[in-house]
Amino acid sequence: MSKHRVIFQPSGRRGEVQSGTTLLDAARQLGVDIESICGGKGTCGKCKVRIEEGYFEKDALESRMSHLSPLLDVERKFIKPEDGPNIRLACKAEIYGDVKIFVPEKSRAGKQVVRKAARELSIPVNPAVKKYFVEFEPPTLHDLTEGDAERLFRKLKEDYGLSGLQIDYPVLKELQDIMRRGEWKITVSVWMNREIIKVEPGFVEASYGIAVDIGTTTVVGYLCDLNTGKVINTESMMNPQVPYGEDVMSRITYAMTNPEGLKIMQKAIIDGLNEIIEKVSADLRVDGRDGGHAIVDMTVVFNTAMHHIFLGFNPEYIGRSPFIPAVQHSLNIKARDLGIKINPSSYIHVLPIEAGFVGADNVGVLIAEEPYNMDEIVLIIDIGTNGELLLGNKKKVCSTSCATGPAFEGAQIKFGMRAAPGAIEKVRIDPVTKEPEYRVIGKADWHTHIEKIDAKGICGSGIIDAVAEIFKAGIIDKTGRFNMNLNTPRIRRGTDGMPEYVIAWANETSIGMDITITQSDVRAVQLAKAALYAGAKLLMKRMGIERVDKVILAGAFGSYIDKESALTLGMFPDCDINNVYAVGNAAGDGARMALLNVSKRQEADEKARWVEFVEIAVEPEFQKEFMQAMHIPHMKDPFPNLKSLLQDRAYSVEIK
Amino acid sequence: MIDEEKKKEILEKLKRAVINYDEDGARDAAKEALEAGLDPAEAIFNGLVSGMEEVGRLFERQEYFVPELLMCADALYAGLDILKPHMKKLDLGIKGTVVIGTVEGDVHDIGKNIVKMMFDVAGFTVYDLGRDVPLDRFVEEQLRTDADLVCLSAMMTTTMVGMKKVIDEIKKRNPKAKIMIGGAPVSHDIAEKWGADGYAKDASNALKEAINMISALKKLKEDAEAKAVSE
Repeated sequence: MSKHRVIFQPSGRRGEVQSGTTLLDAARQLGVDIESICGGKGTCGKCKVRIEEGYFEKDALESRMSHLSPLLDVERKFIKPEDGPNIRLACKAEIYGDVKIFVPEKSRAGKQVVRKAARELSIPVNPAVKKYFVEFEPPTLHDLTEGDAERLFRKLKEDYGLSGLQIDYPVLKELQDIMRRGEWKITVSVWMNREIIKVEPGFVEASYGIAVDIGTTTVVGYLCDLNTGKVINTESMMNPQVPYGEDVMSRITYAMTNPEGLKIMQKAIIDGLNEIIEKVSADLRVDGRDGGHAIVDMTVVFNTAMHHIFLGFNPEYIGRSPFIPAVQHSLNIKARDLGIKINPSSYIHVLPIEAGFVGADNVGVLIAEEPYNMDEIVLIIDIGTNGELLLGNKKKVCSTSCATGPAFEGAQIKFGMRAAPGAIEKVRIDPVTKEPEYRVIGKADWHTHIEKIDAKGICGSGIIDAVAEIFKAGIIDKTGRFNMNLNTPRIRRGTDGMPEYVIAWANETSIGMDITITQSDVRAVQLAKAALYAGAKLLMKRMGIERVDKVILAGAFGSYIDKESALTLGMFPDCDINNVYAVGNAAGDGARMALLNVSKRQEADEKARWVEFVEIAVEPEFQKEFMQAMHIPHMKDPFPNLKSLLQDRAYSVEIK
Repeated sequence: MIDEEKKKEILEKLKRAVINYDEDGARDAAKEALEAGLDPAEAIFNGLVSGMEEVGRLFERQEYFVPELLMCADALYAGLDILKPHMKKLDLGIKGTVVIGTVEGDVHDIGKNIVKMMFDVAGFTVYDLGRDVPLDRFVEEQLRTDADLVCLSAMMTTTMVGMKKVIDEIKKRNPKAKIMIGGAPVSHDIAEKWGADGYAKDASNALKEAINMISALKKLKEDAEAKAVSE
């Protein structure tokens, strides 16, 4: 019987299945959770999935609706026009050719845990949009010298000293009615002391803004109160562009090779963002208007590719050397021009790009962490699908971008998965018995394989822990090679003959298979961490420094990485563990700061130009540094801090 | 004439030096080979290259990784630098000219450098066009040098799509030339679809491919020698 290739999005799970297998069974075989309350009888309609049609260059896969069995009447009953095109019930559609399937959020049984929670910021609130309350004397026949708008401008000058203001045309059209409806009391929203972007009847104190971080994989929006600076609501989702490519390069390729590709992806992200806006602002509905209208300001950060696609710029030229972006400086674009459903006259502030691949998201990190105000040398690592580095202090800061690949996010790892319930997120291994204990997302305690805990796979932080722990326990050596002479059933050869270490036995999992960390997984982690280390090392050489005083781990999962595991692997040069900090989504923090304080926007514009970008891939020493950094923690560089740390903890591994 | 036992011992030393990535050891063994009057070609192919073949096997079993492979190659080079000036030209029946480069828009060249190195070792004449090479240059250079093989490398999906143009153009202008493509986004299916003659997924695989190629060359050399003897 023939086999067909199947790819599930957004999880990225893929594999081959027998001809005639249903999509639901294929999903189960590949460890993808699809909601199925009725158990595949075709009576609940919960397992709706979308088929992504087209040829996908990166996967070399031709996905067609016609590769599935014909649509059945029972499916027609559940599939509504609002579901969009190419929808099937996973339990009924049988596979007779290669397909790429998108599992919509509501059809996913295990909801993704998006780890981009906002942390407290302590900056003075001084937003770009300010509200002014204005009270007029009602006009009379004795006072015919000014129209409504002139009256408003005069009052704003008299009461608040605002002069030279403009008013956006659609706002002007509403002004007459609102002045009268508010009985000559109105609240005016003014952007940058320059333009009136909203008028509301009566006294309205509340003022809202949204800060958005569009990641390659995850999109998050923070609704903020512009008076207090507090985050009121956070919403996130998988980036709806994932079906068109998991990484930025495949998305750029999609835009290059499909005539409508750029438009399709731009629409996907704008629709997604509007969904986020609708959710965060559901409680802000006024006068039957969408809550989004109450949002008067928005800032956005993203990498350069997401930036271009969001704004509808051709991304082709940033996808190839010399990586020239369409524009580097910050932008203010009317919400209505992009179809973003906040107050239509408001501006969307797009933070500037540093250079080529170091985008507005890294500028967000820059203004959130402010290395340019520090005396000590700090290394900031923003780990996402790409790794971005900032190194320096108040004298000079350099930046670069490293191709880490998706290993830290669980892709290319045999049992890798994104951070969702069932993912092993922390691992410890006893250096003597070589027995592990681990923690699973959604479960409270450390698990010591006594009872079934329904582990499904390993997420990024778990993978970093696992490789660091098998190294500390002497299961792999510094080159990453397994020691096969240890007497434990957990170290064995897999069905492909390659060494692996068993973290969870099949009876502890929900997938009916042993969860292992394989030799190939170790190699993938070595490549990814070597890219980061080599980047840091070349920046250090460029700046003529021998060591860093402080390391900051940023990024969605940065705060979940175990600092000791990261240091053990050699993800960054040796540093006192007490000076290693995890700060979470610093790019999102930067977007919030720019939302709450207008001087942060100016700072972003200045510092983005001041930072010196280094293209490490063309540095003559890159190859050598990259190779040496593949060893754990490093082939040549000493790690005195790590050495004393592990000695204190009675580990017997040898560190230089 | 060197006695069999001594010869075996030196060849083993050369082989072990490569496997253990011992550059000094490789140099010493190469000098010893010359002093003892061992045929340099034999020292290279049955000593150094045999070692590299074993390294390839270790790599395939994932016991060695890229850094180890490169260190082994360094050791091989150390020995080769000493032996090569003394080697007589061998007629292997093929010309062995390669044009290699990373395609336009791409600046990642580690994979290309590794493959280039292995071609060097195998005695090919290599025209390295470097990185970010305009697509037309591959075609021009192939025609100018009449190369048997053109190797195209790309690390990014965005630049990989340029390879197809080069393949089409070269196949049109000189159907005899073989084309090998490589790089992270390249797959067997893509190579087949675009009409490339071979592919290597990444630097590691390229290295493996290159080692296979050297093994094939070694076989050719043996055949050529056998033929020479029988004539």
